[in-house]
Order: sequence, then structure tokens, then C-alpha cells
Amino acid sequence: MKLTIGYFYKDLLNLYGDNGNVEILLYRAKKRGFDTELVNISIDTKITTELVKNINMVFMGGGPDSSQKAIYQDLLDDKKDFLKGYIDKGGVGLYVCGSYQLLGKYYKAADGSYLKGLSIFDLYTQHFGNQKKRCIGNTVAKLLINDSLLERTPSTIVGFENHGGRTFLGKEANPFAKIIKGHGNNSQDGTEGVYYKNSIGTYFHGPVLARNPHLADYLIAKSLKLDTIKPLDDSLAYSAHTASLKLKR
Amino acid sequence: MYLLITIITKLTYQIIKIFRLGAGYTWPGHLALKLDKNILSNKKLYPSKGFVFISGTNGKTTTSKLISLILEKKGLKVVTNKSGANLLNGVASELILNTTLSGKATSDIGVFEVDEKVLPKLLEIISPRTLVLLNLSRDQLDRYGEIDIIVGAWESAISKLDKPTHLIFDSSQKIFESIPGLFKGGSTGFVVSKDLTEVVSLFGGHNSKNVSAALEVVADFGIDSQEALNILKDFKPAYGRGEIIEYRDTSFQIFLAKNPASINNNLKLLLSNKVSTKNILFVLNDGTPDGRDVSWIYDVNPHLLKEACEGKAIFVSGRRCFDMAVRLMYAGVDVEKENIFEDLNRAIQKVSERDEVLVFPNYSAMLEVRKILTGRKIL
Repeated sequence: MKLTIGYFYKDLLNLYGDNGNVEILLYRAKKRGFDTELVNISIDTKITTELVKNINMVFMGGGPDSSQKAIYQDLLDDKKDFLKGYIDKGGVGLYVCGSYQLLGKYYKAADGSYLKGLSIFDLYTQHFGNQKKRCIGNTVAKLLINDSLLERTPSTIVGFENHGGRTFLGKEANPFAKIIKGHGNNSQDGTEGVYYKNSIGTYFHGPVLARNPHLADYLIAKSLKLDTIKPLDDSLAYSAHTASLKLKR
Repeated sequence: MYLLITIITKLTYQIIKIFRLGAGYTWPGHLALKLDKNILSNKKLYPSKGFVFISGTNGKTTTSKLISLILEKKGLKVVTNKSGANLLNGVASELILNTTLSGKATSDIGVFEVDEKVLPKLLEIISPRTLVLLNLSRDQLDRYGEIDIIVGAWESAISKLDKPTHLIFDSSQKIFESIPGLFKGGSTGFVVSKDLTEVVSLFGGHNSKNVSAALEVVADFGIDSQEALNILKDFKPAYGRGEIIEYRDTSFQIFLAKNPASINNNLKLLLSNKVSTKNILFVLNDGTPDGRDVSWIYDVNPHLLKEACEGKAIFVSGRRCFDMAVRLMYAGVDVEKENIFEDLNRAIQKVSERDEVLVFPNYSAMLEVRKILTGRKIL
């Protein structure tokens, strides 16, 4: 059994330690004796059938505005068809912050300019200008994924958020979690992220999988089509999780 | 009113000293700015030869200390924020404390490290004779928003600067590319000359940039680099930048590890065998000065972490000790549960059973470690 991660734009979209998510997924898969492979895909990597044929997990992080502008055209011209097909067919993936926004319908910037997204997720994001406070701070949310893999694990996820844009889900989109502490998608409706087929979009970083080992294992199990997955000794990670529940917002 | 404020500020400082409430470099200035928000515009406070400002993510404290040492040895009276209080209140404290009874500046030159976010605000008030820009990398992003926002604020402030300012910047930093073009006055991109650190007792290759920047600054005062390097032979590392503190017969060597760049540099130093140790203590806090978001620990190179920790006893403490322990685990470093301490005091007592220990704290953690080891506060 082999976990093959397609890691998109590692060189440009890694603002909040996002690469840690990939490090964590590989570590946890190896600990269980699974084979692993990392496929780095960036602007100079063109999508071919050969390149993506084994990918069973996609990861994409967030970046500063300058990096998101830099990847934008390539994402639309070269990567869009693969990502749309992969996600719609139930391919497993995790998309954090900036990439979560780009997979929606559009991003409306503070200056009124309008950036079309990949329209894979039914959501849009709007930045209301620097007068409106960024959504920053420690976060806690209740997972809304209903799956037997998550029956015996904590129902919470913890993280840190830092985003200027507010995201609003459309009728077709389900949130990935319900905010207990923090802003989440837009600091209004209590939703956090999106859960669509086997893909998760989220604002949580920290990186998100570090203090939420159950989420990491959920993704790995889904990728490998497993109904159960052997637990690891996660006492340290759950100590960090428990301590995080008490952090000030 | 001005004179009254200077007196109140000086008294506040004395009270803090007498009652040992800290080193007193932020509160007096904080109070002065509350009483008169324009106090820093008062030219009476200004040293006769003006100001040198140093800003950037890493190296501010060391570079300020280097410049101050050289200028002092050449007979200038320097006012500087050596405690690292680098916000407006820290600058105001130092300036006011260095005035005569009639409120006139007693110093010749002000050498101030300035927080990245505060720099544009300070430049609106004071045009320095020299402005040093060292670097910008990910640090405390939750406080600052993204790096792009800081660069934008710097560019806008620099484009408004008066001509007499000499701008000195690291020309190898891509992020500074547009800055010389925006600036009306003269600028010098500094480059690192070879083997600088052989001459000075500084640790690590990254410090050669700080030395190069300092040499450019003092050249404006007619001090040539050979003379400056001779003076720097007496240099002692700044707080937490490789300093050694003896405590209960244990030698603690402290290397500030406040962001990925600084921790990677320190790990390389350890691997280069310029520093050796059998015990490492990581201390991770998430206070306001540190940045409340600790996700940057995953930007630390995991291979360097693993290699540098190989065969050593690893201890972890700080308010986010479990996060640090988890990060080490994912890098492949084994941390024994009994070596993780939420209470820093207990961690220090535990490691003081050893002969020596190398400490990697982030900012507020460094202050706390020093306080336990020396019994004094520096901020």
C-alpha cells in the first residue's frame, strides 16, 4: 500500500508552516509501514498523466498575496483540469487558507478587483479592506465529518487562523467544522472550512495536522481506502491538542 | 510641559529601579508618550550627530551593539536601546533618560534597533542620518499580517525620507530590490567581505552580515574597516546571542531561536562544531512579543533538527512545550516524556544536574531563562 502525495506549489504557498502537514502525513504513513512518495508540483512542473497517475492525496497551502498572484495563471492554465477532475471523483485532499480560497468561485479583493477561482467548491471569498480586522488567533472547532474513522477520536480540532478574506459557503457546500472559538470562515455564521466529497478546505493552520492527529489519520485512511487504521502513540500530540483547547483566542 | 515630562519619566525609571520592577526601558517612555504623543518630535531630545536606525527580522540587536561599541571606542557618547526595547516607547525612554536637568540631549549619536512594524511610524517622526535594513523573513506573522504588508509600509516610508539619510541595505535580499529606486538620497548595498568573523569573537556565518552592515555605518564617521575590526575584538555577544551564564555549576549557553532563520542558523553552528554540547533545552512560548502563532516551528529544517539533536539529551519547556515536542517527534527526534516541563523553573533545575546545556529559547522564553539564571530582569 502506498501513499502518494501531490504537493502543489511547495516553493510558493507555504506561509504558515503548511509544509509541516506533508511532513506529518509522510511520517505517519511510514510509521505504519506504508510506502510513500512525494510528487512536488509547481509552476515549472506541467501536469501529465504519468506525473499524476499514482496520486491519492493532494496538499496545497497558502501564501502571501504576491505568491498567490504568481501561481494564479499557472493554476488556471495547467492545473485546473486535473484538480477539478480529481476532487470531483472523490480524490482525497487538504487545502489550507489561500488555496482553499482559490478553489472557490471567486475572490473579491479589498480594491474591488475580482479574481476568478477554480469553482470546485461552492463558495466565495471577499476581503473588506484593511480597516476591517484580519481574522487572527487560536481556534477550536467541532468536526462535522460523519465517518466511522472518527468515532473514537476527539470531536474537536484546534489550530491557528490568520486571514483577511471572509469566505461564504453556497447552498451546495457543507462546512468541515463548527466554530467553538475563533472566526472560522467569516466570523458570522459559525462555519469553518468546507467538506466536499473527500476534500477538506480550511483556514486552520498550525500546521493543522500537528495537533490533530485524528484528522491526519482520517486523510491517510481515506487515501488508502481503509476502514480502520492502526493507532500510533499520540500522547504528545493529544497533550498539545488538549492544551490548545484552553489557549486564549 | 516638556521639562515636566522629562522629570516624570526619569522619576518613573528610578522608581522601577528601586522597587526592582524590571529594567525600566519601556514604561517610562510609554508614560511620556501618553503625556505628549508628539514628544519624539522634540529636537531637544536629539543627539548632536543624529540617529542610526537598524531594522529587520534578524540581527538588529547584534548589529546595534556592534555599531555602538565601535563609535564608543572612538570617543562618541552613544545612546542606544541595548535592552532590545525597540518600540516607540523604548526609543522615547532612552532618549529622555539621556538628557540634562534642562532636558537637553547629552549624547552625540543615537543607535537604535527598531521593530519592523514600528519603523515606518518612527521614520515619519525622525529622519535618521543612517538607516540600516538587514532582512525580512517570516516572524510573528500573526502580529504583522503578511510580509508583503510590511514591505509595502517600508517602501512608502522610505520614499518620503529626506535626502540626507544614508540608506544601507543587504543587497542579497531580493525583497529589497525596489527600495533603492524609491529613495531620493544615497544608498549602499552592503556585501559580506570574506572571513570577517575570524577577526571577531562572534558565532556563526550569519553574523558576518551584521558585521558588514556595521562597517558600512561607521565608515560614514571616518572609521575604516581595519580599525573597526580591531575594536570588535573586544565584542561580547548580546543577550541570548551565544552568551554563557553559569548557574549552580552548570554552564548554560543561550542562543535566541525566535524564528526559522535564527534557529536554522544556530543548528548549523552546532553542526559545524564551533559549539558543542551533550544537552539541549528548547523553550517555546507564545507571548505577544513572540507571535502567538507557533506554526513557524515547522519551517525549521527537519533534517538539521534531527542531525543537531542526534545523540544528545533533549529537554523541552515553555508555554507551548507540547507543540515543540511534537515538532521534534515529527523531525525524528526522540523526546522522553519526563524531559518535557510545562514549568520552566523545573526544567532549569532538571538540566542543572548536568555540566552544561545549550538553550534554544524564543524571545520571551529567553528573557525568562535569563531571569531564572541571573535573578534579574532585563526588560
